[in-house]
Amino acid sequence: MPYQVGVTIRAEVSPDQLPPLRKLLADTGRKGLTEPPFDFAHLRGVHFARLYLLDEVADLDGRPIPAGLVFMSEVDAPLRRHLAQLIDVAGDGIDQAFAHCAGYPGPGARRRTRIAWLRRHLVPASAYYVNTVGRGLDQIRQEAKLRDALEDRLDQGGWTGRAAAGVRQDLQDYVAGRGDLSWAWRPPPEPPLLFRIREAVHKAAMPLLLLLLMPVLLAILPLWLVALRMSELAPQPEIKRPAQPQLARLQAWEDYETQNPYAVIGFIKPGRLHVLTMRAVQLATSYGARHLFTHGSLAGVKSIHFARWVPLDGWRRMTFVSNYDGAVEAYNDDFINEIWWGLNAVFGSAVGYPPTRWLLWGGARLEQPFKYTLRNHQVPVPAWYTAYPALSAGNIANNARIRAGLPGEMTPVQAEQWLSLL
Amino acid sequence: MTDTLDRAGIQGIVARGYSSLGHARFTLFACDGQSAARGLLGWLLPRVTTAAPRFSADTAVQVAFTPAGLRRLGLPETAVAGFSLEFLAGMAAANRSRFLGDVGESGSRGWAWGGPAGPAIDGLILLYAATAELLDERQAQLAQQLAATDARALAVLDTLERQDHEPFGFHDGISQPLMQGLPKASRAGGSVPAGEFVLGYRNGYGQLTDRPLLPRSADPRQLLPPDPGGSSQADLGRNGTYLVLRQLEQDVDGFWNYAAEATRRPDGSGDRCAQDALAAKLVGRWRSGAPLVKAPYRDDPALAEGNDFGYHHTDPMGLACPLGAHIRRANPRDSLDPRPGTDASVQVNSLHRLLRRGRSYGPAGGSPRPGGATGLHFICLAANLARQFEFVQHTWLNDPAFNGLYDDSDPLVGSRESRGRTFTVPARPVRRRYRGLPQFVRTRGGAYFFLPGISALRYLEQLPGSVPSGPRTG
Repeated sequence: MPYQVGVTIRAEVSPDQLPPLRKLLADTGRKGLTEPPFDFAHLRGVHFARLYLLDEVADLDGRPIPAGLVFMSEVDAPLRRHLAQLIDVAGDGIDQAFAHCAGYPGPGARRRTRIAWLRRHLVPASAYYVNTVGRGLDQIRQEAKLRDALEDRLDQGGWTGRAAAGVRQDLQDYVAGRGDLSWAWRPPPEPPLLFRIREAVHKAAMPLLLLLLMPVLLAILPLWLVALRMSELAPQPEIKRPAQPQLARLQAWEDYETQNPYAVIGFIKPGRLHVLTMRAVQLATSYGARHLFTHGSLAGVKSIHFARWVPLDGWRRMTFVSNYDGAVEAYNDDFINEIWWGLNAVFGSAVGYPPTRWLLWGGARLEQPFKYTLRNHQVPVPAWYTAYPALSAGNIANNARIRAGLPGEMTPVQAEQWLSLL
Repeated sequence: MTDTLDRAGIQGIVARGYSSLGHARFTLFACDGQSAARGLLGWLLPRVTTAAPRFSADTAVQVAFTPAGLRRLGLPETAVAGFSLEFLAGMAAANRSRFLGDVGESGSRGWAWGGPAGPAIDGLILLYAATAELLDERQAQLAQQLAATDARALAVLDTLERQDHEPFGFHDGISQPLMQGLPKASRAGGSVPAGEFVLGYRNGYGQLTDRPLLPRSADPRQLLPPDPGGSSQADLGRNGTYLVLRQLEQDVDGFWNYAAEATRRPDGSGDRCAQDALAAKLVGRWRSGAPLVKAPYRDDPALAEGNDFGYHHTDPMGLACPLGAHIRRANPRDSLDPRPGTDASVQVNSLHRLLRRGRSYGPAGGSPRPGGATGLHFICLAANLARQFEFVQHTWLNDPAFNGLYDDSDPLVGSRESRGRTFTVPARPVRRRYRGLPQFVRTRGGAYFFLPGISALRYLEQLPGSVPSGPRTG
């Protein structure tokens, strides 16, 4: 069983290439990445993928940051296979898109050259959240198929008056008779040993490192707190409501499927304090996502399939990207009601974020300014691919529970509970 | 924190549904120019009913405006821009229609009013009366006034005499949020801050929902109350709220025929009990109003007003009231993730409540009439359209993945256009799935309105004549 990696490729787009690229992405739209020339449906292990534009901006010192084309995917490891398939399977589409970027070797170039170019343009994430670490695309699809089969079987009726154990036995017999479901009797494979060792070492090493550094950190802490609070008390710019055209651009690409793609980008406040704070919080976020929130919930928010934080332009900008269930309003409400403290820690160092108190308080709890600032910093994602457009994260988790409960003996009560998953 | 409600400054419909006034008619109007709009408002102003205590009149009048109507009255663009983004964009905006499920047969292009193809609506006048004769008389006066002021009625929405039952036959309007500041709320727990339903008061987050604030210079006569937020501005929004009006056509025959067909015995004969039971499962209450969590097996009129219940502790699996039943979606009470069954869950739920004020329409006495459609003129009031009305419509009613479901939209009112045609009834040992559920409710019209407070009405009525638009100062 694979583990899931988050791939970010970013390349510069010259101004004259922007209009045709913009058109290509809009034309590609929601169905376009599935079919040729992109053909992502035939890539191995791609859960989600997107192509979108970051407009040219001036940084806080007025230095221009050129426009960029961003490709992102959430895909089952190994990365090597994915990059090769981007050229071997999706090459026509990838060529068309990245042909607008400075220095792309182009369709005429050798396969190896193009793969190497993509690899050179990879951007590392500072934190990466996976709803359920190790649940690969094949597993998600198989378990959805298993559920469909069992539901169809149950729809045939005739269960009234039967005991739960008897019904379960019937379903077991049914699956046993279906060769295409034979995998369902075995538990899903675990991630590779090497991966598990690496994660276990990281999980243990980070607290140790923290312990070692504690004297230094404790010495810095008061200074940091004072500096932080002073910066929070300084006058902050007013948060404006998003303009209608910005909203219309975003809404045009929202709410077609069970999930939506999300992307916000903003500048990190100037000065070492904020970059340091951002880096420290990212370390903590990464640790939390890798080791604590690995099974179905990001500190209480269960609707996120994947999320990542990617620092850009030498930690001048931070982008947050996710694939989440439902509407953006509900998503923002989850932020405000469940993980406001996390949002504040992560984005409190960003320009335009509602004022925080001691980093964790205030901020996201200021409902409307918070929602406005997210909309103001949100980027439309026209070209987006989902491998399972009708499955919520809750559906996927339920399907896994159905599969887990298929083999073996159960007490009547357990059988009853298992049947209630269907 | 409880604010003292300025009840005499708030339009009455916020505080009461006028149950003593059984007859109502809703007039959508447009005006030719500012003087017409101002003339009409000037005539309405002394007649508008407030939320002041001890209401005993035999008629009531309320008035609300669209952004077009506010502009028509001469409200400058800088002030109009202070209203909510959803209100300004309108209910029939293309992306909003998809979001609200107004697609296919509910699509706004086919709406009787409020759609992109129809004339622009300036406002809405709600007229209530104790008798049909009185209503006719007041409506005639209104029609006269409209004609005298160069205003036109674009549509007059008639309603059925008020009764407890909506057209499908179910006791309706049982669960209403209790607004803090009104007497009922002080007698019961679980009340909702006034700011959830009236602008200019603290909302569920203890904050003031955004609303148009004007520089003092824009209100030289000081008609408007000051911004309770402490800025020196005049508060055009205070004591006002947003009003959602939707004409929801109900396919009553379709609903009961479906329930009859789906419950036919193997020999083809009808099963009236099973039909009623399935209908109750779709709704979450029996016809009397008795909630399924309290009366799981048969109707119990003694529980008709039953509203003191939760879901998580009594019925977590939905064995009594299905997880996807209409009332369990429209108001999930204590069943919201990630902490179902706790006060925190109820707290989050209370951020998405609506004051419902709708009235049914259709052939009087329920007698079938060719082409005589029946349904609900759905009205709800909310201070935050996005977090309240639109959230409920999309995330609770129409999302096929609500509450762990896969392909179930609201079985009663949900959209079935792309997905959501399944209804799942949890049961032991095995759930029952109803596939290919028809659409029972179609949207036939709709618009967002601003229901101003009394001061705001006075202010709007005296705005100076149109001046060339330009940057405003001060």
